[in-house]
Amino acid sequence: MASKALISLSILLLIHSCYSAHEHSLLTPTTTSLPLDVTIETLVSVVLLCFGIVLSNREELKPISWTVWSGVLEREKGCGQFGYLDERVGFLEIRAKRAEFAKWIKGAGEGSSSQKT
Amino acid sequence: MAILKFLLSYLSVHPSPLRNPSTSLHLSQQAPAFLSSSESTKDTQETWLIYEQLLLSCLRTGDDNSARLCLQRLSDRFGVDSARVKALTGLYDEATSNSRGELESVLQRYQDILKEDPTNMPIEKRRISLLLSLGRTEDAIKALTSLLSHSPNDAESWAHLSSLYFTQGLYQQSIFCLEEVLLILPNAYNIFARIGEVTYISSSTGAGSTDRTEAFEEAIKYFARSVELSEWYLRGWYGLKLVTGKLIQAKPSDGTLGKTESLNQLATEKLVQIVSKFRRNEKGWMGFDEAEVLAAKDLIDRDEQRFSQ
Repeated sequence: MASKALISLSILLLIHSCYSAHEHSLLTPTTTSLPLDVTIETLVSVVLLCFGIVLSNREELKPISWTVWSGVLEREKGCGQFGYLDERVGFLEIRAKRAEFAKWIKGAGEGSSSQKT
Repeated sequence: MAILKFLLSYLSVHPSPLRNPSTSLHLSQQAPAFLSSSESTKDTQETWLIYEQLLLSCLRTGDDNSARLCLQRLSDRFGVDSARVKALTGLYDEATSNSRGELESVLQRYQDILKEDPTNMPIEKRRISLLLSLGRTEDAIKALTSLLSHSPNDAESWAHLSSLYFTQGLYQQSIFCLEEVLLILPNAYNIFARIGEVTYISSSTGAGSTDRTEAFEEAIKYFARSVELSEWYLRGWYGLKLVTGKLIQAKPSDGTLGKTESLNQLATEKLVQIVSKFRRNEKGWMGFDEAEVLAAKDLIDRDEQRFSQ
């Protein structure tokens, strides 16, 4: 909620500063530079907008360090970035998998574990 | 919750539903509901990803009707000539064949497709795994090496070739293939651990005792690298503990074992942490494979018994 308010405010400021700059360019000879207050308003609004966008991010941030990140994947999902090298779907032996499943369902979840290759 | 959203979140929590029978079952049970829902007609990337996963899970659990429907919609959307759809069709035919004769005819069809288009990788991979299903391992290895000679950048194929060599007891070749994977993906920590495992296994079959300690040291290096790249890789820690333990046993009072012992201790600590958190069903620690956690527990217990004796 706070991030939305921040984004709206900063967009208003940005539009206002653009309008002021336009006005300035129409009313004064083009050789003079922008007034200081317009420059400051532009910069402040852009900085606030950046903060607002970052704060509005709803997704959980991921660890920067590779070892921490892959560790989290391993313990939460049991499958890291290279899990496909263990699974190798392209070479899926579907008949063996079906047979394994049929056996498993007969055991009604007794041996709920599978062997990784 | 809408079923599309539910399936997406399920797949993000279980990225490889084929690993366990229970996740495959759960996913395939959702298939009829998804296929009859209005959301199944959405043409987004996510929907088609779900179709593919549902197809695989349904084939695995034997729900051939839903699988047929998934395949039908995939081929309606992408055309029967798409390489991926062709491979999935082949997969369906393989799974639903009832006799060896039918399988042979599927194999013949693969060969015909490959004659027309020799670069069709998905079909080539299907052909290799069908050869394996038919028990023709040697032909499969030959086909796989020829695949790798024209596309040596495919890590999946190298990893598969390694496992085929491993089943044949050709450990040196198996390790070579894994090293090729590492050349393509230098951060693949599970491959590091796998090299450690194969090195350890090959040393425990034959070879003299001096060679064995050398092989143990080699294996320890690979395991250590794998846990360096992933701090909670169970197989890496397991291997590290197992092999450092063996090395300590092999040359007990050498004086040069300080590092090995501290590695062993570290691995034990990590394994104890994993086992206890998994058993307490702690959030964020439930991804481990149950059988692997049990094996780790077993290893810790055995070690403790040896110390107390």
